[in-house]
Amino acid sequence: MSSHREAPEISKDPVADSTDLYAFVSPDQPDTLTLIANYIPLQGPAGGPNFYSFGDDVLYEIHIAVNGSTRPDITYQFRFRTELRNPDTFLYNTGPITALDSPNWNNRQFYTVTRTAYGKSDVIGSGLACPPCNIGPLSTPNYAALASSAVHKIAGGIKVFAGQRAEGFYVDLGAVFDLADLRPFENLHAQYGLNVFTGPAAGVNATAHLNVHSIALQVPLSDVLPRAAHGKESDLGAVLGVWTTASRQRARVWDAVTDSYVSSGPWHQVSRLGNPLFNEVLVGLGSKDLWNALPPSDDKRFAAGVAHPELAALLPALYPGVFPNLAKLVAAGTARADLEAILLTGIPSGIIPGFQNYTGAVQADMLRLNTAIPPSKSPNILGVVGGDLAGYPNGRRVFDDVVTIELRAIAGVTVPLVDKSFTPDAAASAVTDGLTASSVPSGYLNSFPYLGVPYSGFTTPSS
Amino acid sequence: MPLQSSAGPIPEPAVAADQPAPLSRRSVLRGAAGAGAVGLAAASGITAVTGLTRHDTPASADAAAVAADALGGPVMVYLRDASTGEMEVFAGTGQATLRNPALVRELLRAIK
Repeated sequence: MSSHREAPEISKDPVADSTDLYAFVSPDQPDTLTLIANYIPLQGPAGGPNFYSFGDDVLYEIHIAVNGSTRPDITYQFRFRTELRNPDTFLYNTGPITALDSPNWNNRQFYTVTRTAYGKSDVIGSGLACPPCNIGPLSTPNYAALASSAVHKIAGGIKVFAGQRAEGFYVDLGAVFDLADLRPFENLHAQYGLNVFTGPAAGVNATAHLNVHSIALQVPLSDVLPRAAHGKESDLGAVLGVWTTASRQRARVWDAVTDSYVSSGPWHQVSRLGNPLFNEVLVGLGSKDLWNALPPSDDKRFAAGVAHPELAALLPALYPGVFPNLAKLVAAGTARADLEAILLTGIPSGIIPGFQNYTGAVQADMLRLNTAIPPSKSPNILGVVGGDLAGYPNGRRVFDDVVTIELRAIAGVTVPLVDKSFTPDAAASAVTDGLTASSVPSGYLNSFPYLGVPYSGFTTPSS
Repeated sequence: MPLQSSAGPIPEPAVAADQPAPLSRRSVLRGAAGAGAVGLAAASGITAVTGLTRHDTPASADAAAVAADALGGPVMVYLRDASTGEMEVFAGTGQATLRNPALVRELLRAIK
């Protein structure tokens, strides 16, 4: 998945498990930047009575590196606090929840936002209420309006929201984790001689009807852009590097007196996410939790997995005869400078007309957003490879088809960016898991926080 | 990363390894405030404590800060290597590493 359960240790700690990160110039407020970090993967909407919430003992952060930096120049920190009104009922709510301060809501969560910029920290919001999870028509009637009331406007023209949302990332997990099956092409799969697929099939969105928890922030671009020139697409200062992290204190003990965990010690990073699928696909199983614990500026040590991605070698092997040019490229041991640029340094000027998101030579996995490129009036879910310079890998919008984009890139469609003599296989520009943004049943919102209304437990069977 | 700190080199224990470790929380905190070493009492069951010096802040500031941490929240000790007596002590958002074989022997006797 994008980053859901992508590493052995973090897969056991869902409240600290980052799943997706989005960064884009807000289409309806183009003088602002929207940042969304998702956590707590694969939520079955009916998962009561202890419905999902952020970790009170987790430090959630969204980092921004500016002006060619790969270090956190600006960080937004989020800390949560749960309040249980009545410990003697087993119920999450004792009646309909029609407002964030409803006395019927037993298990509420609040949060504080701290902005740290260039070494100076300020609390910019506190006591901010999360919405409840979407339970059903009796418990959370008119859920969309209730959740909207949890969009808080705080000082400085900033909007913030933290709470449950519909999963906006679409992927055919069931197929891709079944030995890289892509249903639209599964008849071309080698199938290990089992011959179970006789023809192509439509993709299945495994994350449809599942929810996540989002931390969403909309800030004036002027709050995050550097003093350096940033108004033109070609300006280094126009490019922001973004990533999210979750940290836990290093020591945790079950307190048998209070029947709860207690934590102590320094914060230790346990989850990280920049580009979708980076840790998931390009880092070996034995290094994934280490990768999660490191800053992006240390990613040079993982660059070999980008230059020689395992999946690029698997595609020709699993789909015999479909990727002959990719097979030759892999056999020649050619380092994938195209992928290194896209994922680790950004794409320099002069390669794609009217576009760059370069942050310098330091290899670091960050979402890189060129803020001088305005939002697209006609977005293409394939982003830059689809001719839409406002989409991934120029930041990432909620509806971008990052699975197909990265599949095609790994299959070789972006090699000509660095080697014009290479001809991608015809399949490279067609390969997909067969899904689009319309595969997300809840759809998306046209305004902040952009991710759709979460699925309710009443209307959605448990997964 | 912000808010993240790491242990420095393993410090010499403020209490000589061969001396018996002090056992009361009060004496530890008093000792910490007076000597610049820091006394820590484990919150969950272990009452044995020792003096230690953190390397990430000056010793004089260190004592007050960690003593306050110790009073305000749980303090935990992780015996990383019993054979060398190396322990990590966690309090608040701070951490210290120390090596004290005598204390380790006492701790191990206590939990037998």
